[in-house]
Amino acid sequence: MRFIREFPIIVALSFLFGLAFTGLVLGPVFASDIAQPSAKLVAYTPTEQAGRHIYVREGCVYCHSQQVRNVKADKNMVDAYGVSKAGDYYYDLPHLLGTSRQGPDLSNEGQVWGKASGDFAREYLIGHFKNPREYNAQSIMPAFNYLSDRELEELTDYVQSLGAWKVTPDPTEAEAQS
Amino acid sequence: MTTSPVSTSTSALSPSDDRLNFPQMIAIPALERRDYAMQTWLFSGVFWMVVAASIGVIEAVKLFHPEFLQGIPALAYGRLRPVHVNIGIFGFMSMGYLGAAFYMVPRLTQTALYSETLGVLTAWAWNLNLTGGVLAILMGFSKGKEYEELPFPFDMMVGLLEISIAGNLFSTITVRKEPRLYVSLWYILLAIIPFPIYYTLGNVMKFRGIEDAIVNWFYSHNLFGLWLTTLGLATLYYIVPKQLNKPLYSHAISFLGFWTLAAFYPWNGGHHVIWGPVPMWVMSASVTASIAMLIPTIATMVNFGGTALGTQGVMKRDISYRFSILAYLSYVATSLWGSTLAIMDLNAKLHFTSTTIAHVHLGFVGFGLAGLVAFVYFYLERSLKLGYSRTLAEWHFWLTTIGIVGYVVSMGWLGWLEGSEWASGNSVQGVLELRYGYNVARAGSGGLLLIGQLILVWNIWKTMTSPPNDDAGLDDLKSVSLNEGVAS
Repeated sequence: MRFIREFPIIVALSFLFGLAFTGLVLGPVFASDIAQPSAKLVAYTPTEQAGRHIYVREGCVYCHSQQVRNVKADKNMVDAYGVSKAGDYYYDLPHLLGTSRQGPDLSNEGQVWGKASGDFAREYLIGHFKNPREYNAQSIMPAFNYLSDRELEELTDYVQSLGAWKVTPDPTEAEAQS
Repeated sequence: MTTSPVSTSTSALSPSDDRLNFPQMIAIPALERRDYAMQTWLFSGVFWMVVAASIGVIEAVKLFHPEFLQGIPALAYGRLRPVHVNIGIFGFMSMGYLGAAFYMVPRLTQTALYSETLGVLTAWAWNLNLTGGVLAILMGFSKGKEYEELPFPFDMMVGLLEISIAGNLFSTITVRKEPRLYVSLWYILLAIIPFPIYYTLGNVMKFRGIEDAIVNWFYSHNLFGLWLTTLGLATLYYIVPKQLNKPLYSHAISFLGFWTLAAFYPWNGGHHVIWGPVPMWVMSASVTASIAMLIPTIATMVNFGGTALGTQGVMKRDISYRFSILAYLSYVATSLWGSTLAIMDLNAKLHFTSTTIAHVHLGFVGFGLAGLVAFVYFYLERSLKLGYSRTLAEWHFWLTTIGIVGYVVSMGWLGWLEGSEWASGNSVQGVLELRYGYNVARAGSGGLLLIGQLILVWNIWKTMTSPPNDDAGLDDLKSVSLNEGVAS
């Protein structure tokens, strides 16, 4: 083989790439707040997990973020629900942080239209999935009227779980009291 | 030189076949036509470009008229969006610029491509694989993270095919006859070598929660920075000096630009989660690296700017060169804009808004599409010596330019308004009415872009299929004949 002069270039490039790999991929593995769930966080139930799968399949993440940042634009959400922390996402796979807000942030939807509001919230969510423009004429959300009733139930379960755990009493505390 | 039956049969078909005899040469005589591989890649890229643009227009219409094509699961916005993006990345940009790479590598190394056959087969496998992957997403099998939606086994296949492509190009570079490595080859090396690492990391490895997000963005940004940008810049570095018939302004500056890009780009991923729930040092490292990206950007700006200085004459005459300039300006603008978006305060205002969408499209259409099209015209007239229709090319250029400006201005300005509204306490629902007109403008600009690209396809088709020196194209031939009167 002649002229293997690209070799030093490749070594230098590998080094530069390796540096970034170490910093951005290996580093976070050891960050303590990522490796532990937030205090009251609960794992998804099977139906919630199924709903999450529908959320992924239908690409909800492209229009809805799931993160509240400590910035002016998110002030109302910060006041109501607090800033999102790394541990809040412990059970999320794949992550659904989102990059765009064509629609509202959903990280606390389980408090906005939560189980606590009873059938009313559930009926609203399912009706809204089927035809968003029945509730808001300006909405540009696709109508998910092609989902089966069961899928709509699962999706609703998932959406109602988002952030809901923040307001439930800590299970370990509840155990300690009883 | 012909020591084996395989090379005997191929040497008759490829006139420049003076490659070294590789122990296991991959050669099917029917595919061993000079530049067959690069043509397959390049024109597949053009095909996917039109598909990506068409889907983009459908989505854009859905964003102001959601009833459009409503009720068909495969055509729901949330499924078309990943298809649009994956075709844009892996179809249009990857395939088109790999076509350019398959053209440049043999010429810059003065060595025949290691295997045309392998090149052609990988191109068709890539096409089939992408078609399969995209259909799977439409059927609801998306993996769900941006730019890594292609499900198994299609994602694995992309990685494996890339290794074959890299092997093909890398082998050619390794046994090259020209000892010097021109800057385009550095960029190609940077593109083809680390790809399997971050691609596998992003697509195959499973992480939890926020780590998943950080790795997602590490992968995604490397895909833009180390794969698409490097291939695009390699192409510009190759065609611009040839279009102008003069050497690059400064090789020292391209050296600086290359190494700073290689050092800082891989760190950029974290800037997608600025203010997000990630460790502070991930953010600071990424913000620092994003702002440090000003160095390679300015280096490229000065280098191409210096080369292009005083070439207005060529710009008027040569549409291919005009597209190169559009690509160059868009590259500089996208990069400067990207660095600005990483400034914490601005990011707080503009993250999640349409500004991001404007930024991405300036990169993909302004830089990616224009650079690829510059190469297509360059290839037709310089390499194939074919005269394309000048009139159609003018239409193509202006529709593309107006389309991209309209798109970026409407979305960029809308993003700024959204950011201001949200910072003053308005909700997402509160800006829906504001968005309507801008979304219509976006769809209109996208429509112009699409029409422009359809004109390009028509032009390529007519040029490639009509016999040379056709009398109908006499004027056109004259108008694109080259090098006449290039200021020396």
